Amino acid sequence: MADPVILAAIVLVAGLLMYALFAGADFGGGIWTALAFGPRAREQREALFNAIGPVWETNHVWLIFVIVTLFTAFPAGFGNLFVVLMTPLVLALVGINFRGAAFAFRHFGRESKKETPVSARVFEIASVLTPFTLGLAVSATAAGRIVIAGHMPTEHVSAWLNPFTLLGGVVGMAICAYLAPVYMTVRVTGSLQEDFRKESLIAGLALGILTSLMIPLAHYQAPLFAERLFNSWPMLFVMLAILTGVITESLLWLRRYFWAQLMAGATIVFTMAGFIAALNPDILIGQLTLRAAAAPHTTLVAFLAVLPIGALILVPSLVYLYWTFRGEPSTDMPPAGKGGGQGAPPP
Amino acid sequence: MDDLLAARALMGVSLAFHIVYATIGIGLPLLLMLAEGLALKTGDEEWHEVARRWIRPAAVLFAIGAVSGTILSFELGLLWPKFMVFAGPMIGLAFSMEGFAFFTEAIFLALYSYGEQRLSRRAQFFCTVPMVVASAISAVFVISANGWMNTPSGFRMVNGVASDIHPLVAFANQAWPHQAVHGTFAAYVATGFAMAGFYAADLLRGRKTTQVKKALTLSLAVGTLALPLMLMSGDWAAEALAEHQKAKLAAAEAHFKTMAAAPLVIGGWPDPETGTVRYAIKIPKLLSYLANGDANSVVQGLDAFPLGSTPDPRIVHPFFDLMVGSSFVMAAAAAWFWWLRWREKEVTLKRGALILVLIAAPFGMIALESGWMVTEFGRQPWIIQGYLRTSEAVTPNGGLLLIFATFLMVYLALSVGILRLLLRPQGRGEEGEEGEEVLHG
Repeated sequence: MADPVILAAIVLVAGLLMYALFAGADFGGGIWTALAFGPRAREQREALFNAIGPVWETNHVWLIFVIVTLFTAFPAGFGNLFVVLMTPLVLALVGINFRGAAFAFRHFGRESKKETPVSARVFEIASVLTPFTLGLAVSATAAGRIVIAGHMPTEHVSAWLNPFTLLGGVVGMAICAYLAPVYMTVRVTGSLQEDFRKESLIAGLALGILTSLMIPLAHYQAPLFAERLFNSWPMLFVMLAILTGVITESLLWLRRYFWAQLMAGATIVFTMAGFIAALNPDILIGQLTLRAAAAPHTTLVAFLAVLPIGALILVPSLVYLYWTFRGEPSTDMPPAGKGGGQGAPPP
Repeated sequence: MDDLLAARALMGVSLAFHIVYATIGIGLPLLLMLAEGLALKTGDEEWHEVARRWIRPAAVLFAIGAVSGTILSFELGLLWPKFMVFAGPMIGLAFSMEGFAFFTEAIFLALYSYGEQRLSRRAQFFCTVPMVVASAISAVFVISANGWMNTPSGFRMVNGVASDIHPLVAFANQAWPHQAVHGTFAAYVATGFAMAGFYAADLLRGRKTTQVKKALTLSLAVGTLALPLMLMSGDWAAEALAEHQKAKLAAAEAHFKTMAAAPLVIGGWPDPETGTVRYAIKIPKLLSYLANGDANSVVQGLDAFPLGSTPDPRIVHPFFDLMVGSSFVMAAAAAWFWWLRWREKEVTLKRGALILVLIAAPFGMIALESGWMVTEFGRQPWIIQGYLRTSEAVTPNGGLLLIFATFLMVYLALSVGILRLLLRPQGRGEEGEEGEEVLHG
């Protein structure tokens, strides 16, 4: 039987990847709503908004999955991380909150034809703030500035706010900004598709440059992380990320959107896998190993035993969800009754 | 306000806020399922219309519930890291299982609410079934974690460290069954009455359509049927408290002195200095009877526990009375409504009865919130009863007052937004047009 600590870590990483892919595209939708340009900016915003509608709540649940897995399987990691990263996590939380609320309000407002510009702005700002602060928090675990002395550390600004984590935050935003337009290319047609293709190409380039900058910066700012990244197999993931990134850009250039979408997902998976592999075997680099942070054996076994049962219900449900809402996003404004909902007088 | 108080206040406000949305997330799917089921069974399209109109506010409320739930999961670490390091291995399983259930609910809610154009009517109905099941299960699972805080089990303390951990034993802790059953029925009661109130208000405003009458009948029926089940499970909960959480029961009942043939204290103001309850109504022997099924049995009072290890009856007792009292308001309103419904063979339009339903509407939620206060304040000063004090569990970080203030603003902003959306005349027929003047883009 495999080591439950490793298995639980795999579950945690898988949850994180799912969150990055699905919520990433989702946040990216908000970022591109803010950045939309060109003659069809309004149509782009509409399409992004409609595509996010049915799936944002589900995408968002992956974060809860990650948090719950963290405190169930790695309680000491959870405790320490949430103490030292309090400020960026609070900011992320504020962003998540306002984003969800603004989205729901905006949706609801549009149905009742009372859309407010405030909720649209809040939605955009929160879509930028959240991936930035989450990227900041995640990269802080690799920066090596956090020192756990004694039982519970206290928060230090320099532990999470330094050049490495700032760039990490920007990479977090870039990941989202990259996934969203690629996701949209297979969902729209015509000139709108061309718009999203252009955005994908730009975002891909930006992501490539930013992650490349991350590596030399790590050398000076996060030496332990850089050492592990360069000197062993995590480098393989970096290579794969570069390769899939280049393939994605080429496919986008050739307008092979279906394959471009898959390759874009792979790029993010490999980028994050490289990061996580360089963190391994720690949860907090140089300070706290996964094994030291792990829950007792009995808990891990119970947790891992429950997972397949959950997956048995979840996986088909998720497939059904994405299959139902595949293709072009509906422009009609659900959820409403026949005749346009509450507003319409009975026929 | 010191950091501990700020942390407690923030957790309290967050939960109080979340509970409203979580409750609707449990109750509303049942109403949706019943309405869609009735539409399929009777072929009466109006039932479907009733359901589709609920989805509109439901989508907003579910969304707020999801984000406020995320706040809570973060706050567990941000405010109570030491508690989570201790408790994570034991209650994490409950949260994991709850997570799956909640995930399922979110998926099928999205399918149901956005799938009108893409799914058949039968498929829409079938989407409501996993919503009902998953939302009830998620309540039952997550309540296990709270139950464990009240009656911790599934581990042994060895030199101050929890060892010999059995997560399933912790999951099935003693307080779980009665809390889970009581809490879930309370959610159905709260949603049923709250919804009924909205429709009673509609009828009072002269919107006397058959749809409104149907919706009122269905939501009040759910609330009414769940009410006695909630009361029975409450009685079960009280008996369980008498056995396993004696200090909480004593605080809830403002029962200061251990005695035989203990009276039931209703209302009044507990005074810990003198150990008496001023201005209270006392019913002889009833507490002994309710707690132990024997009118002459001994019930432990707050004096049976070491000083400083018991909850404050000045907080717990009034909330307990408020919880119990709320159910009588609802019972009275329901009884009058159904009596008239039966006599008139039609949904009554009598103002008195409708006003009473309207008055009773918030009391389900009031009962739920105050019941939760009883559970939480009734456990103080412990975060894990008998093992870890709340004061020992709080984060070492300072500045919690600032975070409390930040989130207070967040909640205020959300509440104002929700109220603006839900309470403004939302384009209801004729009234809608005037609202459209404020239209932007």
